[in-house]
Amino acid sequence: MSETTTTPPGAGPQPGEQLARTSGGTLRMAWAVVPYFVSVLLAFVAGGVVILLLGNDPFRAFESVLTTSFSTQFGLVETMHKWVAVVLCAYAFAIPLATGKFNIGAEGQLLMGATAGVAMGIVFSDLPMVVLLPVVLLAGVLAGAFWAGIAAFLLVRFQVNEILSTVLLNFVSFAFIDYVASHVWPDRGAGHPATIRVGEGALLPRLGDAPSVHAGVIVAVVVCVLVAIGMRRTATGFEMTAVGANLRASLVHGIRTSRLAGAGLVVGGALGGLAGAIEVAGVHGKMLEGMQSNFLILGIIVGLMARGNMVAVPFVAFGIAVLEVGASSMQRTAQVPVEVVLIIEALILIFVLLSDVVRDRLRGAS
Amino acid sequence: MTGVQKRFGAVQALKSVDLEVAENEVHGLLGGNGAGKTTLMNVLYGLYRADQGEVEIDGVKVEIGAPRDAIDAGVGMVHQTFLQIDTYTVTENIVLGTENLGGLRLDLAEARARIVELSERFGLAVNPEAVVEDLPVGIRQRVEILKALYRGSKILILDEPTTNLTPQEVDDLFGSIRAMVDEGMSVILITHKIRETMSVCDRMTVMRNGEHIATVDRSATGPEELAAIMVGKDVAAEAEEGDSADGALVVAGLVGEEGLGDHHVVVDPTQQDGGLRATGLRVANDHGVTLFEDFSLTIAPGEVMGIAGVAGNGQVELAEAISGVRPLLGGTVNLGARELAGTRGAGRPTIDWLSAGVAYVPEDRHRDGILPTRSITENLLLGSQRSAAVKRRGLLDWKTARQNAVEAIATFSVQTSGPNALAGDLSGGNIQRVILARAFARKPRLLVLHNPTRGLDIGSTQFVYEQVRHAASTGCAVLLLSEDLDEVIALSDRIMALYSGRNTGEWLRGEGDRYEIGRCMTGLVKNS
Repeated sequence: MSETTTTPPGAGPQPGEQLARTSGGTLRMAWAVVPYFVSVLLAFVAGGVVILLLGNDPFRAFESVLTTSFSTQFGLVETMHKWVAVVLCAYAFAIPLATGKFNIGAEGQLLMGATAGVAMGIVFSDLPMVVLLPVVLLAGVLAGAFWAGIAAFLLVRFQVNEILSTVLLNFVSFAFIDYVASHVWPDRGAGHPATIRVGEGALLPRLGDAPSVHAGVIVAVVVCVLVAIGMRRTATGFEMTAVGANLRASLVHGIRTSRLAGAGLVVGGALGGLAGAIEVAGVHGKMLEGMQSNFLILGIIVGLMARGNMVAVPFVAFGIAVLEVGASSMQRTAQVPVEVVLIIEALILIFVLLSDVVRDRLRGAS
Repeated sequence: MTGVQKRFGAVQALKSVDLEVAENEVHGLLGGNGAGKTTLMNVLYGLYRADQGEVEIDGVKVEIGAPRDAIDAGVGMVHQTFLQIDTYTVTENIVLGTENLGGLRLDLAEARARIVELSERFGLAVNPEAVVEDLPVGIRQRVEILKALYRGSKILILDEPTTNLTPQEVDDLFGSIRAMVDEGMSVILITHKIRETMSVCDRMTVMRNGEHIATVDRSATGPEELAAIMVGKDVAAEAEEGDSADGALVVAGLVGEEGLGDHHVVVDPTQQDGGLRATGLRVANDHGVTLFEDFSLTIAPGEVMGIAGVAGNGQVELAEAISGVRPLLGGTVNLGARELAGTRGAGRPTIDWLSAGVAYVPEDRHRDGILPTRSITENLLLGSQRSAAVKRRGLLDWKTARQNAVEAIATFSVQTSGPNALAGDLSGGNIQRVILARAFARKPRLLVLHNPTRGLDIGSTQFVYEQVRHAASTGCAVLLLSEDLDEVIALSDRIMALYSGRNTGEWLRGEGDRYEIGRCMTGLVKNS
């Protein structure tokens, strides 16, 4: 997109004529990417104003937000670990969204996946890794799929709104893991509801010298590739996209839409469950209350920012992971509360969504 | 009232258009799709804001920024789709949005009296107590006109008012229009049907490509001349050459009741191998009310079966039932040797109908036909994504799909930048071309077309007719459901009138005249 005239929102003579349809790929790409950069920039400017008003130095704050992930190996490891959970939760949201359904239950699915994973890891703690680790991850996937499957069943069979059911199932999962962590396999010494540790064989191997990332990163990368291929190159993926684009037309053209919407939820839930199992096997080594962190909301932010483009999801998720890791270091070095980063993330999302409107205005005076 | 003048610059939709409508005048606004007729009127009614231009009413310049201003200035508009609240009565719908309703307690008696008075004065018979959802389209249109009159309109804009009316209802409407202009009103009639323009308008303005082409007096012109102005020289000339039967057909369909070329082969209806045979159909509408009871339909291969009827008499339900989209409550459907619905319980899923060779071109192109945010390639693929032709090693082969799309775009003359263009950015005519391309790519054995040319310009209409002919000539059975009676008469080998889910008459090509068919469309059964 080097030589193309990438007019950012606000500038641009006769944008109506030169919109993506004429010169094809490059220009369309520019129309898709430029708004992101502008949005990020604007969000940081607005965030900087907030930091200034709080009486701190925005440049110092942003420096630590943006460099922490890359200045130390520890920062990079932390970022990659964050990325794994964020990207999986983003898919958990984005895949059902492709069929027009909103899965707001990624944290419930993550927790159920973690529960299943931890159960396998504890019950079969003596098994060797080659057997136990796949079992742990698979259990997480199945548990997440089952949890979302409840919502999917209610949706397909009784037309129960999936937003309600997935959100409410989150609360059920909170109570459920609380029970597991305090009654089934409690770690009395933890001072916080948590289970005892899983067996050694249930832990994801580390890649390279400490501090090193866990192999869940590879699993997540594989998932990214499979999802991209699945959505773009399989008939089912195409059908999901079609249903999301126009449900009626898809129905008329022979796609079994409600079944597909249910399937989307189940697949999304499976990935949420996988995120939970990886958190157990790679990060915590056990299950603890609050391990869902803010992955639900981050997943939604990433999923919305990617706007249905499954290839964009991992990259957007990486950006968000950088911000998230940088946030805590910003609090230490610049005394700016971590919440400012959430403000910036939300602003990026708002600006990205707003850019649609701006772009349409620019394109379509016609 | 001296006149209305509008001028625009910069915007392509309307290139500096002038329009003057006199008092006591029915003014026809003619032009193909995309000519800018509706846009111009939406400006007058305040739905769009003009970039430039002025409106003068009764010699006074008025600023129209919103429909409210237009209504205050005495402009009323009846849109193609009615803005009514289904569960309210006629009176409530008419009063809705007017200001002096007297606080908390609605006193509708006075309003009702005025409505009755207005409806008697202009011959717009309607029961003010009827609930709107129970009324047929023709009556709902009267309600919409009464709404405008109730608000004191002096200038009434009617956007394609006759689309859904029977010939008799059209006559009634034109009578009412005359009564209005006799009382000093002005009526602007947006249309692309030349015949009806000739019968009711005093003057007509022809628009093309957002430009004012000509304004002519009825006495000073004829249908052929109007058609020529409307379509521009090229198409008309082509039609006049005579060897292009399709061009002649389109002009005939638009212009009047001339006969058609006799190039149609009359198919022997007893020879049913490969055709559609549907018997004892039971179909319900969206509200679960059974609309078709023991309805039968047979179409031979190569035969075009036309269903004439006023909208809402079961066309949507029939089209969807025959296309496998709407579940059947009973009956059997066979396409050739294949049973698609029958004795073994409910019908097969839609996908099986598709693979058996049923292609459906739905009435609502945007809602049922396309994926607006996806590319033309993807739209063309829709429905055949599971066929082996577009797969390589089990995965979708976008390269092949894109090549197919490029070919389809060329064959069907879709005006677009290429296969990656978004379907939602196409014009109505081009969307229809994409839908047809998709339907024909499957080499259909049964083609179900519902209002296939509604809203299309003459060029696209002609194209659709050619394609229907072509499909029939290759042995495809065609079911054409259209509210445009001229179209049904022009294309069909057999015609069936449909009223409230019942077959009220059947004609072979060339048998029935417009008024006889029209009578059966209103529910009278054909005397045989």
